[in-house]
Amino acid sequence: MSDTVTTVGDVEFGTELPTFAPDTSLENVKRFGKFVGWGGPRFTDHEAARKEGFPGALVPGVMSQGFLGAMIHRWAPSAAIVAIDTVFRAPVLVDQPHQIVGVVTDVDEEAGSVEIDITITNEAEETRVFGTATIKLPTG
Amino acid sequence: METDIEELRSGFLNEEFDEVAFDIDGQRFAEYALSCGEQAPRFTDPAHADFQAPPTFVSTLVGGRSLPVDFPRLGGVGMDAGKGVEWMAPIRAGVTLTGKSHLHDIYTKTGRSGRMIFLVTRMELFDEEGVHVANADTRTVIRERPSE
Repeated sequence: MSDTVTTVGDVEFGTELPTFAPDTSLENVKRFGKFVGWGGPRFTDHEAARKEGFPGALVPGVMSQGFLGAMIHRWAPSAAIVAIDTVFRAPVLVDQPHQIVGVVTDVDEEAGSVEIDITITNEAEETRVFGTATIKLPTG
Repeated sequence: METDIEELRSGFLNEEFDEVAFDIDGQRFAEYALSCGEQAPRFTDPAHADFQAPPTFVSTLVGGRSLPVDFPRLGGVGMDAGKGVEWMAPIRAGVTLTGKSHLHDIYTKTGRSGRMIFLVTRMELFDEEGVHVANADTRTVIRERPSE
């Protein structure tokens, strides 16, 4: 099966999205902080974050949500994400490897609608962020 | 549902408490897209004919207040528990959006460490023509201190 889908007809219940390894490097989080916001020390400085009681600098939650959206668009470039809900269960730590997995949980071929569960896990396979998304794909 | 939560719901849900204007900067949302790993040119390339903000970008728009001015202090530490987005229409570079916020939901969950109160603040976003383009929800959890 191709790594990308174009229409809802390409999608089946239970389809697993290609795993996505987001860029959680300090350099990338600093870039996010510079241009978007969330550039405070707890996000951009490991030592400052530890002084606040965290294990290290944190990836902003809004950035983690953006990772989920990017993962969906990498798999379905023409998709319109019409709803996405994200639960921050535990911090995503900067400079730590994470992976994002996703699975299709519902397909409505007539409406072109697909529901997806998405999870960000760390190297210990602990869930850090969980999300559900509804996307629209062309029906043709 | 507990009485105190019922009172909060009846007193505060669906009452608008904040209105803010946002000038949407295309460079800002393109950088957001790139740092999040987006590859689709409609999100990353300002020269693309369909250049628009990724739907999740609206979660970065922060209102003037997150709770009504007269909302009671609940005791306990508030933490960002999640974000939700409903997307209705593309958001283009250069537009001005109006964000109107209200409390959309208040509910509790009880675990071994006690009761947690969840506050869902919804910002409804409208374009210059008044078209409703997106909702951005912020879910805050307050873990009550054991003595309360």
